[in-house]
Amino acid sequence: MAEVIVYSTDSCPWCRKVEEYLQMNNINFDVKKVDQDREAAMEMVQASGQQGVPVVSIDGKMIVGFNKAEIDKALGL
Amino acid sequence: MTQNNLLDTVIIGAGLAGYGAALYAGRFKMNSVILSRDTGGTINWAHIVDNYPGIPNIEGIDLADKIKEHALKFGAELKLEEVENLQKEDNYFKVKTDKSEYLTKTIIIATGRERKKLGIPGEEEFQGNGVHTCAVCDAFLYKGKTVGVVGGSDSAAKEALVLAEHAKKVYIIYRKDKIRAEPTLYEKVMETSNIEIINNTNIIQAKGDGRLSHVILDNQYNGSEELPLDGLFIDVGYVPLTELARTIGVEENENGEIIVDKMNCTNVRGVFAAGDVTDIEFKQAITAVAQGSKAAYMAFKYVNTNTKPS
Repeated sequence: MAEVIVYSTDSCPWCRKVEEYLQMNNINFDVKKVDQDREAAMEMVQASGQQGVPVVSIDGKMIVGFNKAEIDKALGL
Repeated sequence: MTQNNLLDTVIIGAGLAGYGAALYAGRFKMNSVILSRDTGGTINWAHIVDNYPGIPNIEGIDLADKIKEHALKFGAELKLEEVENLQKEDNYFKVKTDKSEYLTKTIIIATGRERKKLGIPGEEEFQGNGVHTCAVCDAFLYKGKTVGVVGGSDSAAKEALVLAEHAKKVYIIYRKDKIRAEPTLYEKVMETSNIEIINNTNIIQAKGDGRLSHVILDNQYNGSEELPLDGLFIDVGYVPLTELARTIGVEENENGEIIVDKMNCTNVRGVFAAGDVTDIEFKQAITAVAQGSKAAYMAFKYVNTNTKPS
């Protein structure tokens, strides 16, 4: 099973959309709140090369924004 | 994989117009599916909505979730699938998604609209590194910093108000002589001490080294065409998402919006449209839901008077 991490903030609509999409496809994932966890924020910026949320990490592959096609491809949906 | 049962209606788009349609389609006992890449639509980006009757002072995304929950209660099924192709047959339509194919007697198009790009050098280069499109998502990055919002609409004013809660200084940069936000919002903007409006000015370039550091204006501001900014939020209007509708001959106006009559019928029999994708002048949450309900009613009438199951 792929390791999935969603980097998000509480107020971010796209973050909730990403989480909703993963839930509807029965994908287990962890959430890291980058506005509350500085280490997670640094990790996201370093790995994705940018600061905006959401970012989805799927087995280390960083997908910026809610990019359904890329998420589907990475998870084989 | 084609779903063999012939649906009464397929609603394309899960924003408020789509939910309004789904709610009524469900109550009319229509066999219906909502197909959408994501849910909520443009209301997701409204920080606080305070003009939806009965539900005052609510975050846009929460309002969308409430209406979704209510709409789906009556039986419409929501599938997070992206519609790729529409095809008109003799007395039904084929709707192909990235996951499946559906056959339906009617279609309700509620695809909404997406944000326009500003189209300046640097916009793509600094995306996520100083250039953003969603204040409620990324405002937290700019605590104590200086940011700009490009645009003069209600939505741009709301973005500025969200940013003003975090940033030290917020500039609204607008190409005309006065932002056109509704009076209540305009008043709030004017009362917010860390928001300043720069009128009659366009941004012509975003510049920096690895991340945004300043923008170039087409007019001098405080004696300079360079305005130092840590962040720039772009909110310069929307483009209606009509590509799919166009493939089955649905007519649009000069702004690329679907032309509907007062009951949300398009020029194509069996195809209805609702919400921000249409030529309705007053694009609001309340009008989107209402349009969705009318489209569902007309689809219901159409199914009961014009089609025979094939």
